[in-house]
Amino acid sequence: MASLSRRLLLTATASALFVTATACGSAVNTADGSSSDGVITLSMHNPDSKTQDPATWQLVQEFNAEHPDMKIKLEGQPVDQHEQRMTIAAQSGTLPEIFWVYDSLAKTMVKSGDLLDLTPILEENGLKAKFAPSMLAGFQQGGMQYGVPYQALITGFYYNKAILDEHRIAVPETFEDLLAAVKKLKAAGVVPIAQGANNSSFSVWAFLTMLDRFGYEAEYPKILSGEARYDNADFLRLYEHVRELAEAGAFPANMNTQTYAQAVASYTAGKAAFLDAGVWEAAKIQQSEVGPSTGFWAGPTFSDGVGEQRLVMNVPSAPFVVSAKVKEDKEKYAAVKAFIQFYYSDAGQKILVDNAQPPVTTYRPQVDSTKNPVFAAVLAEAAKPGWTSPKAQPDLVVSAATASAMYDSFYGVMGGSLSPEEAAGNVQKTIK
Amino acid sequence: MSTDVRTRPAPPPVRETDPPRPRRRGRGAVVATAVAYLITFVILFPLLWIVLLSFQTNDNILNHPFSLSDLSLANYQRAMETLNLLVMYKNTLILAVVSVTVGLVISYMAAFALTRMVFRGRTQNALRYYFLVGLAIPVYVLLFPVYRLDIAFGLFGSYFALILPYIAVTIPFNILLLTGFLRDFPEEIEQAAVMDGVGLWRMAWKVVFPLMRPVVATLAILNVIYVWNEFPFAVTLINDPTLTTVSLGVSQFQGVYSVDHGAMMASATLVLLPQLVIYAAFQKQVIAGMTAGAVR
Amino acid sequence: MNWLSTRRHFALMVAPALIIYSVYMIYPILYSLYYSFSDYDGVTATDFTGLDNYRQMAQDDAFWTSLRNTGIILGIALFLLIPLGFLLAVLLSGRVRGSGVLRALVFAPAVIAPILVGLIWIFILDPEIGLVNAFLLAIGVPAHPQWIGGPTLSPYSIGLVYLWQQIGFVLTIFYAGLRMLPRDVMEAASLDGAGRRQKLRYIQIPMLRETFGIVTALVVTGVFKVFELVYALTGGGPVHLSEVMVSYMYHITFTTQQYGYGMALAVVVFVVGALASAATFLGNRRKEEAS
Repeated sequence: MASLSRRLLLTATASALFVTATACGSAVNTADGSSSDGVITLSMHNPDSKTQDPATWQLVQEFNAEHPDMKIKLEGQPVDQHEQRMTIAAQSGTLPEIFWVYDSLAKTMVKSGDLLDLTPILEENGLKAKFAPSMLAGFQQGGMQYGVPYQALITGFYYNKAILDEHRIAVPETFEDLLAAVKKLKAAGVVPIAQGANNSSFSVWAFLTMLDRFGYEAEYPKILSGEARYDNADFLRLYEHVRELAEAGAFPANMNTQTYAQAVASYTAGKAAFLDAGVWEAAKIQQSEVGPSTGFWAGPTFSDGVGEQRLVMNVPSAPFVVSAKVKEDKEKYAAVKAFIQFYYSDAGQKILVDNAQPPVTTYRPQVDSTKNPVFAAVLAEAAKPGWTSPKAQPDLVVSAATASAMYDSFYGVMGGSLSPEEAAGNVQKTIK
Repeated sequence: MSTDVRTRPAPPPVRETDPPRPRRRGRGAVVATAVAYLITFVILFPLLWIVLLSFQTNDNILNHPFSLSDLSLANYQRAMETLNLLVMYKNTLILAVVSVTVGLVISYMAAFALTRMVFRGRTQNALRYYFLVGLAIPVYVLLFPVYRLDIAFGLFGSYFALILPYIAVTIPFNILLLTGFLRDFPEEIEQAAVMDGVGLWRMAWKVVFPLMRPVVATLAILNVIYVWNEFPFAVTLINDPTLTTVSLGVSQFQGVYSVDHGAMMASATLVLLPQLVIYAAFQKQVIAGMTAGAVR
Repeated sequence: MNWLSTRRHFALMVAPALIIYSVYMIYPILYSLYYSFSDYDGVTATDFTGLDNYRQMAQDDAFWTSLRNTGIILGIALFLLIPLGFLLAVLLSGRVRGSGVLRALVFAPAVIAPILVGLIWIFILDPEIGLVNAFLLAIGVPAHPQWIGGPTLSPYSIGLVYLWQQIGFVLTIFYAGLRMLPRDVMEAASLDGAGRRQKLRYIQIPMLRETFGIVTALVVTGVFKVFELVYALTGGGPVHLSEVMVSYMYHITFTTQQYGYGMALAVVVFVVGALASAATFLGNRRKEEAS
C-alpha cells in the first residue's frame, strides 16, 4: 500500500516536471515582455473600443499611423473581467504595457511596485504644464506619479426640457425644486429619474456629488483614519433626502433589473425626464430623438447641506497606468512615452473633443454649440462662474470595498431595501 | 478475480429498437400528447422570444419589445462585422476536440484502473472519491491559481492554457459516469480475453472500450457542450484576439457605458443555432449512451 | 485479470488524469484555503490573519442571505426539478407521438451557455419590459410582481430559471433509466392489470433508485455552482439580496478586491457543496444496501 502510493507520487512528480519542461519549450509566450519590437499593448475596459470608446480607438489609429516604427495593440474586455484580469496579471507579473484601471486597484499595484513612475515622461517637452494640478494630484503616491487621467468626468443630471415644459416645471436648482418636480412628473406618469443598478451599481454619479455637498471632501480623511464615522448625522440627512425622493416615486420600477445602459436608453427614448450620467453620454444623447431638448444640470443644492453647495463634479476619471516592466525595454519605453506625449498633446486632446469628451489638459477647444449643443451644455455647466469642482469623485478615494458599499448604499435607499441608517452603516462597516 | 472488485450481474440486454407496442389511443393519450406539446412549447418559448428580439432595433428591444415593426437583419450585420466568427468557431473547435479527446482518454484509463484492476478496493475507492470531490469545486476558485500555473508552465497565449483546465474540470464527471458503468461490466468477457493472453493495454482499449462507446459518446457530447459554453476561463486566459472563442462573442457588445442588445441577441442566436443542430444530430447517441448502463 | 494488475500498470493508467486533476483542481483549492487565512488583496504581499475572515463571514448578513438563497434554489431543484423532470420523462417515453423530437427540444436550454440563459430571462422576467408581466397585463391581471429586482421573489425566480435550464438534462437521464427497465417486468405488470399509476409507484420509481441518486448528486453539485444566471439576471441585486454563494464570492473577490475574504467564502462554498453531495452519495448507498 505504502509503496504503491510512493510509486504513484514519484511517477506523478516526474510526469509533472516533464509536462512543465515540454510546455515551457513549445508555447508561444506573448505575456513575456522581452521581445524588443516597439509593440505595446493598451488594455482597456471595453471589449470593442471602436464602437464603445471611439475616442480611444481613434487616438490609437492616429498614433499608429503617425509612428510607423511603433505599434499599439488595443485590446479590452468588459469592465468586470478587465479588472479581474489586471489583478491576476499584476500577481503574476504579466501586466500589459499600458492599461486603464480603477484607481483603488492602481494604488494597490503601486504598493507592490508594479507600476512605472511617469514623472520623467511628464517632465519631457513640458507635458506636465499642460495639466491643471488637480488632474494629476489624485494619481500620486509616495512621491510617485503612477497614473495620468484617461478622461475627465463631468457628471450630473441630463434633463429633457420638452418634458419639463410640458408639465410646467422649471429646471430645478434646490433639492426642494427637484422633489416637487419629481412629484409632478410621477403624477403625470413620467419616469422622473432614469437609473439602472443591474451590474452597474456605480451609476450614482449625481448622488456622489451630493455627498460632497454634505461635506464629504473635508470629512473622508477623518473617516478613513477612524476619527469620524461615515454614518454621521450630516450624511444621514442626505440619505434621508434620497429616501424622500424614492418615496415620491423618483426612480423607475425596474431600476434594480435594468442596467445603466437600459436607463440611458429609456431617457433617449423620451421615457424619463432626468438621467443620472456624465459627459460621455453627450454624443449618444445628441444623436437621439431627445437630443434637441436636452440640457445638463450639476444637481441640487441643499439648504441643510454642509459647506459649499455650488459644486459641479469635474474630475479626472480612473487613470491610465504603465507597467513597471516597460522600463527594462528601451523600445517599449519609447513607445509608451510617445503615446502619452501624443495623447495629451493638443492634437490628441482634439480627438477627445471631436468624440464629445472633455479635454483633460488645459487645451481649450472650440465647441460648436449649434452642432453639439448637448456637449456644449455639459461644458458650460462645468464652467459656470462661481461654481467649483471637488478634487476627486468620492468613490475614487476609498478602497474598492468601501466604494462598492457606497454604491449599494444609494441604490439600497433608492430601491427601499435599506433604511438611511442601514445604508450608511454598511459603508462604515467596510472601513477598518 | 479477487473478491474486492465489485462484481454484479450484467445489466439486462437493452433492445434499442423495440418496435412500438400497439397502443390504446384513448382520451388519456390525447391528453398526454396535448400536455407534452404544451410543456415543450413553454420550455422553448424563451428561445423563440430571443430569436424574435434579435430582429428588432435596440430601441424597440428596450422600450417597445412587443412591437413587430422595424424587423431587420441589421443586428446580424453588426454582429458579423464585429465578430470574427470563422476564427471563433475554428478556435472553439480545436479546443473542444483536443480537450475532450484527451480528457476522455485519460479519464477512461483512470476509470478502468479504478474499477477493473484487482487491488485492495480501499485504495481504488479512496482515489475514486478523490476524483469525485472535484464535482463540488466552483470554477471561480480556479481562476487565479490556473492563471499562475499557465504562466509558470509557459502556456499563456497558447491553446494549452485553456485545454489543461478544461480537461481537469471534466475529469470528475467523466470518472463518475465511467466508473459507474465499468463496475457493471460483465467479468466473463475479460476472463475470456485473459485466457487468450491479451495484455492490459489491449484489454482496456480493444476488448472493453468498444463496448463502452455509447457512454463515451454521451460524455463527449456533454463535454463539448461545456467547452463550447465555457466563459470564465476563456475571458481570463485569452488575451489574443486570434484565440477568441465563441463563448466570448456575446460579451463583445458589453461596453462600460453602452450595450448593444440587438447585436448581443443576434450573436447569441448565431452561437446557439449550430449547437442545437449538433445536439439534434447526436441526440440518439446521448440517450443510447445513458441507456447503455452508465446511469441507472 | 489478477496477473495484469501490477502496481506499475495501475500507476501508469491513473497517473495522467491524477496529475492534471491534482494540479488544476486540487492545488487551486489548497491555494484558496491558504489565502483564506490572510487579508490578501490579490496583488500585494499579505498578512496572515488567522480565522478573521471566517469570523467576518459569520457576521456578514450578505453571506447568510447568499446561503439562504442557495438553499432556496436547492429546494426548488430537489422538490420541483427532479420530480418534474421524472414525470416529463415518463410522459415522453410513453404514448406521445413525436416524443423523440420533443425530448430533443426540451434539452435545448441545457445546451445554451448559462450567461446567455441569464440574458434571455431578463427579457422575460423584468417587471417593466418583461414578457410575463406584459402577459399578465394582457389577460387583465392587475398585479405587477417584481419577479427579479424586488426584495423577495428574485431567488425563487432564479430557481425557476435554473429549473428551465436543467430540466432537459434531468429528463434525459431519467429517460435513459426508464428505457433500462426490463420490458418483461412491465409487461407482466400490465398483464396483472396494473394501471399506469400503480406501475409508476410500485415498479418504475423503486427500480430507478440509482438513477434518482445520480440525478440528485448532479443537481446538488450543480446548485452550488450557479453563478452566471444570477450575474446576468440581477447582478446579485438589489444590494446583494439575490446573491447566491458563488456570485457573492465573485463580488467580494473581484469587485471589492478582498481576495482573502473571497477565498474564505470559496472554501465554504466548496465544503458545503461537498458535504451536500457526500450526503446524497451516502444516502444512495444506504438505500442501495437496504434494498
